[in-house]
Amino acid sequence: MNITPEALFEARRHFLKLGAGALVSSTAISQLLADTLLDMSLTYTPDPNPLKLSPNTFEQITNYVNFYEFSTDKTAPVKLSQKMKTDPWSVGFFGDIKTEQMLRVDELIAKFGLEERIYRFRCVEGWSMVVPWIGFPLYKLLDYLEPNSKAKYVKFTTRHDPALFPDQAKGIFASIPHPYVEGLRMDEARNPLTFIAVGMYGKRLLPQNGAPIRLVVPWKYGFKSIKSLDLIECVESEPLNTWQAIDAKEYGFYANVNPAVDHPRWTQSKERLLGKLTKQATLPFNGYEKEVAGFYAGMDLRKFF
Amino acid sequence: MKALLVLLALLPLGFAYFKLESAIDPIKMLYNITGVGAITLLLLSLVPSTCKRICSLNFLRYRKTIGLLSFAYALLHVSVFIVLDSEFDFITIFEKSLKKPFIYIGAIAFIILLFMALTSFKKLFAKFSKYHKSVYVALALALLHSFWAQKVAGVFEYSVVAVGVGLLGERVWAWKALHVKN
Repeated sequence: MNITPEALFEARRHFLKLGAGALVSSTAISQLLADTLLDMSLTYTPDPNPLKLSPNTFEQITNYVNFYEFSTDKTAPVKLSQKMKTDPWSVGFFGDIKTEQMLRVDELIAKFGLEERIYRFRCVEGWSMVVPWIGFPLYKLLDYLEPNSKAKYVKFTTRHDPALFPDQAKGIFASIPHPYVEGLRMDEARNPLTFIAVGMYGKRLLPQNGAPIRLVVPWKYGFKSIKSLDLIECVESEPLNTWQAIDAKEYGFYANVNPAVDHPRWTQSKERLLGKLTKQATLPFNGYEKEVAGFYAGMDLRKFF
Repeated sequence: MKALLVLLALLPLGFAYFKLESAIDPIKMLYNITGVGAITLLLLSLVPSTCKRICSLNFLRYRKTIGLLSFAYALLHVSVFIVLDSEFDFITIFEKSLKKPFIYIGAIAFIILLFMALTSFKKLFAKFSKYHKSVYVALALALLHSFWAQKVAGVFEYSVVAVGVGLLGERVWAWKALHVKN
């Protein structure tokens, strides 16, 4: 008996496909090469970390997530998402912009380059972590898309594909309405802190963390940082974000981290930093007050929560 | 037999103890284990009398032990709230936390369990046993509390409600059957 080990068998198949691809066209071969390169580490400019934050471990960040498209449990999405196919993946750009178009994640990376941002991340449930994201600021993408004067808000939508996400396949028995929608005011979206992440800890995002591309808004509660983006639209009126649609008394549009304004069911003045048995004080705007407080001058943050 | 029961019921606490060091969100883990333990044991404490009526198996002698174990878990759950989550900040506890609906619902459930635990010993039980029907109120409140504590209720919350409705429903049915006969 002569059994080829699976890895060798796969390598041979890949080699044969490469050869066949070379005969057909150079795009086919680069596509196949892209597949091989997917797990490679990302090249990026490191964050000088001016706030001297110490990131949570990769283990902690990748094993404790909210991703209701998989499950309402914090650890279940880790197992349920491992077969999720995140490449190739295109994001659609529509609405009040110069040219509506679709771009692959790899094209976005090539266009805007990658940098690291070590950010605090605060969940409305009262836990927090520090994550070394890798990606590019959203304003670079918006500069490229050129929103017109009608575009007052940016609307984000998670991919709707019941084959990828078990909760979406449950139809009316889904835990939340799908697809997941979020939104930012144009000035918030253009703030240099607002970030599109494709990786973390030098690697591509894992499916449970919102692969292959997600939003990160560090001064807002985590639910604003929508995962597995499918659509980015520049729109005229304020989008109804998913959690506000579920319960407008508890979750608003702004969702700014605010220790002075409680969630109706739990206080927000302190937070549990992942891995710690003691709690720490929550900072206004999650510690990014200097950069963003001006956006909300004159607004009653109890009303616009 | 009772010792074995106690040992078995306390196993999750041993698990929690060994997991504490490596837990990603330790306070949340302790909340979950003690909360799930209290509710599961509270439901189990209703099983012996159902069992006796339906399949004539008599486990009534374990009822008090199970009930007290449920109280022990509830007490630990409250301790997590006061010691770890609130860090003895009683001003916040009374001024803010206890005003939150799901927290005061849980607090009332705990006070009922506390009352039953204190009156579960022979001397007092003779006098107060008729008030022990309040376990149904405690159960209903505890289920509401667990439902409300979640951002979105999951499989566990729906399952315990289903079991709770089943156990309470059987009691209503038994009570009705008795009254029809009379």
